[in-house]
Amino acid sequence: MKAKIIWLQGVTCNGNSHSFLNLPSLASLLQQFEFLYHPLFPSPLQLMDLHTADFDILVVEGGLKQGWKKGDKDLYELFFHLAQKAKKIVAVGSCAVFGGVFKEFDPTITGVLFDKTKKSKLYEHFFNKTVNIPGCPAHPEWIAFAIENDSFSLDEYHRPKEIFAFTVHSGCTRNEYFEWKVDAKSFGTKEGCLFYEQGCQAPFTHGSCNRILWNEINSKTRSGTPCFGCTEPTFPKTGLFHTKTYMGIPANMPLGVPKRAYLTITGIAKSFQIPRLTRKLIDEN
Amino acid sequence: MRIELLEKIEGEAFLKFQKDKKIITDVKVIFPHYRGIEEILRGRNPWDALVINPRICGICGHAHLQATAMVLESIFQITITQKAQKIREITRFCEIIQNHIKWFYLVIFHELGILYDFTKVHHLIITINKLLALFSGQWPHSSYCVIGGVTCDPTSFEIYQAKTLIRQIKDQFIQLIGELHDPLNLTNDLQKLYHTLQEKELLLVGKSHDRFITFSQDSHVSNIKLLHGQKRKTKLTLIEENEQKRSYAKNVTYNGKYYETGPLARLMQQTDPFIRYFHRRFKDSITTRIIARIYEVSLLIEKIIDHLATIDLSQPSVVESKMQDGTAIISIEAARGSLIHQATIHQGKIETYNIITPTQWNLSNGTSQNPSVIQKAIIGTSDEKIANLIFRSFDICSVCTTH
Repeated sequence: MKAKIIWLQGVTCNGNSHSFLNLPSLASLLQQFEFLYHPLFPSPLQLMDLHTADFDILVVEGGLKQGWKKGDKDLYELFFHLAQKAKKIVAVGSCAVFGGVFKEFDPTITGVLFDKTKKSKLYEHFFNKTVNIPGCPAHPEWIAFAIENDSFSLDEYHRPKEIFAFTVHSGCTRNEYFEWKVDAKSFGTKEGCLFYEQGCQAPFTHGSCNRILWNEINSKTRSGTPCFGCTEPTFPKTGLFHTKTYMGIPANMPLGVPKRAYLTITGIAKSFQIPRLTRKLIDEN
Repeated sequence: MRIELLEKIEGEAFLKFQKDKKIITDVKVIFPHYRGIEEILRGRNPWDALVINPRICGICGHAHLQATAMVLESIFQITITQKAQKIREITRFCEIIQNHIKWFYLVIFHELGILYDFTKVHHLIITINKLLALFSGQWPHSSYCVIGGVTCDPTSFEIYQAKTLIRQIKDQFIQLIGELHDPLNLTNDLQKLYHTLQEKELLLVGKSHDRFITFSQDSHVSNIKLLHGQKRKTKLTLIEENEQKRSYAKNVTYNGKYYETGPLARLMQQTDPFIRYFHRRFKDSITTRIIARIYEVSLLIEKIIDHLATIDLSQPSVVESKMQDGTAIISIEAARGSLIHQATIHQGKIETYNIITPTQWNLSNGTSQNPSVIQKAIIGTSDEKIANLIFRSFDICSVCTTH
């Protein structure tokens, strides 16, 4: 028998629903799982029926908020009721995990287990059956992994280490520039690292965006856009296209790297001029 | 009065029906949510809006991204390069195409109970989003349009990849929908749609005011309204937006009148014989509205092919920008019609930001003397299932409307 899934939306933009629809192996996933309710594709139940449904996995997209109308129910109550019945809860997207972007307007919005970095009121109830897949949106293959798999190595925010022990920096095509401390001169170039000037948070953001590519082809940093740290509880910060520095030193170090180590390596790297890395990759005619 | 929940419209809305015996005499649309995007932006660095605004909507966030870049470029008086312009149009057209395909099958075919090949449709959607992400890094929620251009810097290899993908998209689209040359000779899934509407006697339902409006200017459309068959240029300054009781969505009118925006409005301003044929026969009924949306895909595929053939990669991706204070209002075409962003920058921070979404045009709540587009289309219908289909023919976006 197929395991049954309810995909419940809280305070959301639908980004994770649409991201999930990009899953290349969706048809094969649908042979093992049945969506009793999904906000986009055809499914047998209506919102009004969810309360009495028998199911196995609860997928949550969007933040939780008391007083938010969900059909004829209160979102928070509907979530609590379904979460108690679920065998497993998968929180997809940074809103369901930490509260996310709409929390900037309404501080009462929280994730399932977390309210930014703090444990939420619901933590004690559901921590032992919840897996968190943050991201704005979450990558479709990460979501599918969390649905299909039952054993994870979880980090402090209940994120599977199989995806989130890596940094977004890992696999970035600009790594040579990072190693030799060559900055991108502006946006819109193939050359240079975006960490020093353009606000890229990839070296200290947990995620696999450059290992498991987006839409099977690309990533933000590969296309010249800085990483905004969207898998972290601090998302969205302010000044997102600009690197914060103290006396010329980036305020955030690459993950786990002591400032002294970073400064030493930077000093040495910058003392060399590597012509191949300071020129255009393709000469202009 | 009867209140019904309308779901799977990128969120939900409540519909308040008034009936006289069986006939619907009035309908009001209530959006119960508000997420505060315009408040979140206040006081922030303008650049941050490029990350916040795509999060308005999971299905047309890319249009919000480009609208944001455009309104800020308008305030900072920046003209982007032709290369950046073309790349932006390619990715925005991809977003519109994937939206139309999803809506045509997941919403319309589902609603009408027509069977379709999900695997083929899904593969087409994935291929379109792949072409989009080739330039934008990812879809949904890219921020690759920045003030002054685009962050990507493609080589002719990426253009070659894009050309391969758009050929695949075109082939897959024709395999599903059929060739769209002759309105009298529909084939494949478009023929199935037409026959189903015919069998169910739905060809003529959902007619509204037959008034259309578009505010944007790009390689596909102009800022034109159609009233009694007369074309006139539109001005963003003549838009009125008013708050409503009990709903978070605001009403919008142009010169006091409600107009339909979206693919049908965009195609009615052109002299395309394919859509003109259906409009002559069925006016602005659901038939013409549905066919316009899917037919637009074929036009946008050709635009993308053309842009890929004519893009000049030697131009810069980004031109330098300097922030300055000021106010601007712009419009860009999103899948569902003209999307309007307005911003005021004061002392380098966002002072106000206002967004008018296409669904607000189509789903305003008017009065009995001055009914809105949706009210005009629904009133007189006796069957709620048909009313539901008429609603969905406008391709409603709740999350956009409840930004």
